[in-house]
Order: sequence, then C-alpha cells, then structure tokens
Amino acid sequence: MNRAGKAKVIGAIGMILVLAGCASTTGTRESSMPDPRPPIGAVIPAPGTPPQPPGQVPVLPPPAMPMPIEPPEPQAPSFPRSASEISGQAVVSLMQSAAQSRAAGRHDLAASQLERAQRIEPRNYFVWSALAGVYLDQRQFDQAISVASKSNSLARGNVYVELENWKIISAARLAQGDSLGALQAQARIDEIQRQLGGG
Amino acid sequence: MARSKRKSSFSLRQLLYLLLATLIVSLSVGGLLLSGYVVQLDQEIRTRFAGSRWALPAQVYAAAVDLYPGRQLEPAELRRELDRLGYRHSPALTGPGTYVAGEKRIEVAIRGFRFWDAEQPDLRLAVRFEDRRIAAIDDLEAGAPRDIVRLDPMLIGSIYPQSQAEDRVLVRLEDVPPLLREGLIAVEDRGFYEHFGISIRGIVRAALANLRAGRVVQGASTITQQLVKNFFLTSERDWARKGKEAIMALLLEAHYTKDEILEAYLNEIHLGQEGNRAVHGFGLGSRFYFNKPVDELRAHEIALLVGVVKGSSQYNPRRNPERSQARRDLVLKVFRDAGLIDQDQYLAAVAQPLGLAGGSGGSVARYPAYVDLVKRQLKGQYQDSDLTNEGLRIFTTLDPNAQEVLERDLASGIASLEKDRKLEDQTLQAAGVITSVDGGEVLAMVGGREFRYAGFNRAIDSRRSIGSLVKPFVFLTALSNPDRFNLHTLLEDEPIEVPLSNRKTWAPKNYDRKNHGPQPLYLALAHSYNIPTVRAGLEVGVENVLDTLRAAGYSGDAMPVPSVFLGAVDASPLEVAQMYGTLAANGYQTELSAIRSVTTKEGEPLNRYPIKVRQALPEAPTYLINWGLTQVIEQGTARRARAAVPAGGALAGKTGTTDDLRDSWFAGFGADRVAVVWMGRDDYKPMGFTGSSGALVLWTQIAKDLQLRGLDMLPPADIQDQLTDRFTGLKADEGCTSVVLLPYVRGHAPTAYAPCALAAERTPLDWLREIFE
Repeated sequence: MNRAGKAKVIGAIGMILVLAGCASTTGTRESSMPDPRPPIGAVIPAPGTPPQPPGQVPVLPPPAMPMPIEPPEPQAPSFPRSASEISGQAVVSLMQSAAQSRAAGRHDLAASQLERAQRIEPRNYFVWSALAGVYLDQRQFDQAISVASKSNSLARGNVYVELENWKIISAARLAQGDSLGALQAQARIDEIQRQLGGG
Repeated sequence: MARSKRKSSFSLRQLLYLLLATLIVSLSVGGLLLSGYVVQLDQEIRTRFAGSRWALPAQVYAAAVDLYPGRQLEPAELRRELDRLGYRHSPALTGPGTYVAGEKRIEVAIRGFRFWDAEQPDLRLAVRFEDRRIAAIDDLEAGAPRDIVRLDPMLIGSIYPQSQAEDRVLVRLEDVPPLLREGLIAVEDRGFYEHFGISIRGIVRAALANLRAGRVVQGASTITQQLVKNFFLTSERDWARKGKEAIMALLLEAHYTKDEILEAYLNEIHLGQEGNRAVHGFGLGSRFYFNKPVDELRAHEIALLVGVVKGSSQYNPRRNPERSQARRDLVLKVFRDAGLIDQDQYLAAVAQPLGLAGGSGGSVARYPAYVDLVKRQLKGQYQDSDLTNEGLRIFTTLDPNAQEVLERDLASGIASLEKDRKLEDQTLQAAGVITSVDGGEVLAMVGGREFRYAGFNRAIDSRRSIGSLVKPFVFLTALSNPDRFNLHTLLEDEPIEVPLSNRKTWAPKNYDRKNHGPQPLYLALAHSYNIPTVRAGLEVGVENVLDTLRAAGYSGDAMPVPSVFLGAVDASPLEVAQMYGTLAANGYQTELSAIRSVTTKEGEPLNRYPIKVRQALPEAPTYLINWGLTQVIEQGTARRARAAVPAGGALAGKTGTTDDLRDSWFAGFGADRVAVVWMGRDDYKPMGFTGSSGALVLWTQIAKDLQLRGLDMLPPADIQDQLTDRFTGLKADEGCTSVVLLPYVRGHAPTAYAPCALAAERTPLDWLREIFE
C-alpha cells in the first residue's frame, strides 16, 4: 500500500473509531485490562515481577531456546518456593499424599492424587510440576516434558518451579536420546541457578 | 389235559415272572435313568452356582464431589448434591445417607465407598459454611478437622447387552437390612430355615392363609423353588417342570447353605422393567425405586419392594400406585403380625407415601448421551462381553451439576426461542458439551432436546459446518507470524473476488452485506467480518489454516479451498469443545476424556486414564487470539454474554452462523470451563437464528448457571502490553484520547509514536533511545 493509500485507510479507520466511540463502545474497559486477580485456588505470582522489560534482561538466552522465557532479574526472586505458600490445605494435603505414594513407588496413585489436586486448583504450577515428575518416574518422557512445559507456562517466571521443571525436561530429553535438547535444558538450569546463587 | 393245565399254569406263572422281571428291569432302568437325570441336574446347578452366577453389567459412576475447606459452595448447593445422591434430610444422623441441615452448618453421615485409589469408610461430618464457602469440615467421630473428603459417586447407568437386558447391582446378605431379610421370609416362605427345599407344611399354611384372607396372600413355592424357577427354568407351567423344580430345589439345598440360597434369591428376583431393561435384585430395585443403597431402606420402602416380588408388573408402583400401596400395607401387616415391627412402627409406615425417587431414578440411564460417549471411549479397550458381564466399575468425569444445567438450559432455551419466534413446536434441535479447561474432562453432554432418551447423539455424531467458529483459527495462523500480523493489523473490508480452481470466482460477503473499511484484526474477529478474514486467510494460505485447525483438535478432512476461511468445515460439538479447549489452555491441549478409571467389581484397579498434555499451539499467538475472543463478548457479536461475565474477569468466545441460518453455534470459555452449544434442525432446513440470536442465548444462560470463572489474562513472558492509538495502530501515550491497551508478541509491538502522542514531538531522540534500550 502506498503512502496516500495508507493515509486514506488510517483516516477511514479514524472515522469508524470515532463513530464507534460515540456509540459508546468500551474504550475505558479496554484501557484497563481485565482484573488480573486470579480466581480462588489459583496461583498468585509475586507482585510486580513478570514480565521484565526487555532492556533489563542481563543475559540473553541462547538463540535456539525452545521456550522463550525471560530470565529473572538478578536480585533474590520473591517467588513462592513451595506449594504450601500458594495452595489451599486440600491441595497441600493431596500433594503430601502424592509425595508419599511416589516415594513408595506407587506412581499411578501419585498421579491420581495430583490430578485430584489439579481439579481443585487447575492452574497450580506446583501441582503440574509434581505431575511432570511422576511422568518422569513412569518413563513417559513426552508427557513429562509437556507437563513440565505447561507448568513453566503457568509459573509466569517463578524460577524455583522453573528450575524443577527444566531438570525434569533435561532428564526426559536425555532419556529419549535427545542430548542436544538435554543440553539446552541444562543451560536453562545453569542460568537459573546462577540467578539464585547471585541473589 | 393235566399237562395242558400245567402248561397253562406254568405259562401264567411264566408271564407273572416275566412281568415282574420287566418291572424290575424297567424300574432299575428308570431308576438308573432318573439318577442319571438327577446327576445331570446336579451338575447343572453346581456349574451355575459356582463362580459368577450372573452376567453383571458394568456400572457407570459420575465424578465424586470433593468437599474441602475453601471450596466455593453454599449450604443449599450441598443439600442439592446430597438430595441427588438420595441422602435423607432428617432431624438427627441415623446412619449413612442421612443429613441434618442448619443455616450455616450441615451434618452429614457419608456412605463409605471403595474408590479406585482408596477406600473411604462411613464418615460423620459437620460442614461449616462462611461467606458462600466451606469454612471447615469436622470429623464428628475423630473430633478432628479434615482437609478433604469425597461424597460417594452417583451411579448414572449400566452397560448391558441390547438383547438380554438384565441389569442388577449385587448385594451381600450382611448388607441387607434384617427387616428385608426376615420380612421377605415372613411373606414368601415362613418355613424357609426349616424345610429341605420343598415344604408340605408351607403348602398347607399358605392354603390356610389364603383361605383366611379370601385371596392369595402367600405363595406355596418355597424361596428355594422360586430361585430354581427363576434361575434355571422357563416360565411354562406343567407337572414335569414342577417335578424338575422340586428335584432341583432339593439338590440346591443339599449343596448350599440357607444363607447362600437367600442371597442368590435377593439378587435374582425380578423387580421391575424399563423398556428392554429388566431390573433384577434388591440392590438395583432399591436404587431403581428409591435412589439409594439397600441398607438405607426404611420399613415402608422394604415393604413396597417385598410386595413387588409377587408381580413386578401388577404391583409396579410407578404405573399402579394404588394397587402397589395396598400390597405394601398388607405386607406391613404381615411384618407386624410376625413381630418384625411393632404397632407404632406399623402405623407410622402405613402413613407414609410411596416415596418413589423422581423420574426413573437411581441407576437408570439418566444421561444416555454421556453414557454413549463413555461406551465409545471404552470400545477397543474392552470386549463387549467384559462390559456387559463382569460388573466393571467405570468412574467417569461427569459433573452432575453441570449436566443438569446443560440439560435444563438447552431444553427450556430452545422451547422459549420457538415460542418467541412463533415457530412450530419441536422443530429446533440443540446439543451441547461442557469440558474442563486444563484437565480435558468432559463434564456434561446433551445429544438432543429429549435428553432422557437414547437416540441420535448430536453432540458426537452430528457434524455440521462450524461457520465463523473457524475464524479464531484463521487469525491465529496469521498471528503466528508476528512480523506480519498483530491484533491491530489493518485488514481491508472491500468486495473481494477469489478465483477458484474450476474457473469460477468466489465473492464472499459480510453477514450484514456491508463493507466497513479497513479493520484492525481484533475488531474483524470481534464483529465476525467475513471479508477481512478471507483476506488474512488468503495471505497465510488455506493449508496452514487447516494445519492450525488440526493442531487444535479438528479431525475431519476438509478440502483445502478458500471457503474454509468462513467455516466450510464440519465438526461435532464435542470436537469443537476440543478445539476451543486447546485455545482455553493457552495452546496446551489436553485430550478430552470421559473416564478417569475402571476397576473390577471388587474395586481392584484395571485401567486409569491419565491426563495427556501436548503443546499443540504456540503460546503467545494463542494468548493474542484469546484476548481477541474476550473482545467478541466485550464489544462484538456476543455482547449478550456480558451478562454472564463475572465482575473483574473476562470470558472468551465466538459465534458461528452458517449459510441461510442452518446452524447456530457458540463456543466459549472462562478460566476453568469450556462450553459449546449448537442449535439447528435435523433436516438441515434454515431455522432463522444466527449464532448470536440462537446458540449464544442458550450459552449465556449456561455460563450464568455454571458461574463460569473469569479469565485472569495474565500475559505470558513473551507477551508485552502496549498502549496503542486506535486510529493509527501506533504507540500511544497520555496525549492520545482514543487508545487501546493491546497485547503484542514481545519485540513486535509498534515502536513509532502516533501523531497524538506527547512523546511524538521528541520523536527522533526517542527512536534512537528505543533502539539502544
């Protein structure tokens, strides 16, 4: 589109939007994003941490990263470190039972207890991370990687959980014979550990 | 003479000998034959009685309700759950299956249940409520709080063979209330514990009793004979069969204890019929008529079931309530006269109404579309005979509350739409599916407006054009190329002609037949404009759009033609739920499942259906499209659904309409649930509703009744929000008056300031600064 055409287009849109504005669409609603208050039982990330402005990223991730997650800023991250900090008592109790089942080698039972916890708090990234661990125990490597990635996605920058998840991903990739993928995951692990050590 | 006389007397004697010999031989042969026959019957009895005596249909359970402190639940909702499970509201806890309801506290005696992962014993709990939530759960026996407990799951159906539809729920004798056991003996066979299988005294006594009453109140057959009759014999009535029955009764008694025979009888007896499904035994009878387990039956309910034994058709309490009640009261009198209940109990019991469970109650196939889905999921993993014979327990993901909401809102919704439009009654059809976002569980399914009858399951088998439901996937394909597309990318809305392979051209139009000038992508989606969608689609290519659809969960084989961009793609409501579920879970697809686990009838785990997650769609573009779908409701074609949006949250969804208004769709989701509604006619005729005026109306009511939780819309790390000037799509600040906060893939937000921006004056410097930052 040439410059004149663009101007015409912009003008036309302007008209439409002005008219739309007169017809009281929801301009204010848009400028204030939906209340990010999570629903009950959902995970509440520490305020003001994610995402970082690009200018403050201290170390760029290696170029071929499959998961473009921003590394945190260098000072001690104030994310919840354990499930009990963000979960209701029912979920904490189920996660404890699952940990016992897992320790006893009862993987199916552990998975079902975690799935029950997931139904109560569907976006609790600690629960998903623990489930990824069970899948790793069960040598279901694809599932371990997918579920750990999902946990990473929900964790919204919580490095403590991400560390666990990358460990699971690295181990699963290694077991699958994907040594390059495992190395990349290990790079994320090293990176996060440096962050945590630096704090 | 003498010789001849001698000869003749000899021949007489000879004849006598001969006769005697013949008699002896034939008697021995007869005896031999008879004993052979007896041995054969004996073999038959022992074969039949050893091992599993019945083909047991698989039992299908709904998901168990979890109770835990913090759960959003009001006392009235818990009461509804308990009522649905057949719990009885009473002044005090008298045993499992009862509850005492106060204003902010409900005491409940929960029935023990063997779940696949653990056995939960009977529990007596006090559930306290505060601010529409469970505040605490106290174990009244242990005197300690509890973190989480389950209610016993509702039995929602059984899987029995189509031909011989014998259904039953086995009971053990020790689980049967003493009154049922003793009352049954008092009515059917008073000498049961004395006789050897047949009872001369019984026959005499029955005759006398019948004579006294002036009609038949007692049968002459013993319980053993009745069992033999039901178990081994056909219904013909002749002496040979009577003889066989008597022999078998004696043999049965010789091999088995009275208790074993009584237990078999309790499980065998026919107690009712529903279509081609035969209700056998007191375990299922109790659920069929009273929607509760047999150990919770009260005197008047026991009497009713014992009364039905005499003739399940004649004394059918649903069809012949008066006759059935008279029979029940007569049975209660027998109970009293036998000293099983006292006069006060008798008077209280006869004063009770029949108290039947609503509808067909109990374990009857209440949710045929859902059970159909369960059967299909099991197919290939289990043989049909495993499902119909082995008494497997199938634990599904059905949420009875969601199911009831879906049934009620679809049925009443289309009825009132028909009325509003003055359409002929019963011409519209509807189907719907509700799933959980992250767990991929099918929570509810309705296959048609007559949701109680198994029939054409539109939720699975009706593949119809999805119309504009396809648009998010067209735009998602575009947004996956962030160098070229963002939510504010302008798409022309001028008439367009697309050349087709058959030398014809395709000239799609907008639904309102108007052109609206260039549209930012998110508004084209919100208002469901066709032409901008086709333009975006043409740019990214139809094969890529089909790839996106398949990644999201589409399984069909649509032709790669441009009309795909406007929804020339057939899918079932269930498949649409999978596709929109993938969006709702930020691209992490969870394969839909209706089953959590399967156990043997003893509760031993056989199979588990774990959550299966796969990253199917890229996360950042999916976030952008979900943001766009919130705008469909906020300001687009689905504004009606704003009524269902919770305060401070957002819901996402899309309308779908097909040519000439043949299909009306809405697919939408909140933080935890996806709901899909289809509405149309079975004969594919136009019905006059768009997605907005039809399916959306139904969906909005469902979303309200489900109390869909709002999306939190926390952007992932590779998304940045950027204040954008609505006119130019450029970077805005407080100097601009018409702005929108739009999410962008990080690094792809506009960097140039709009002319309205205060910062625009210092543009050169800013540009420089931004480059170096």
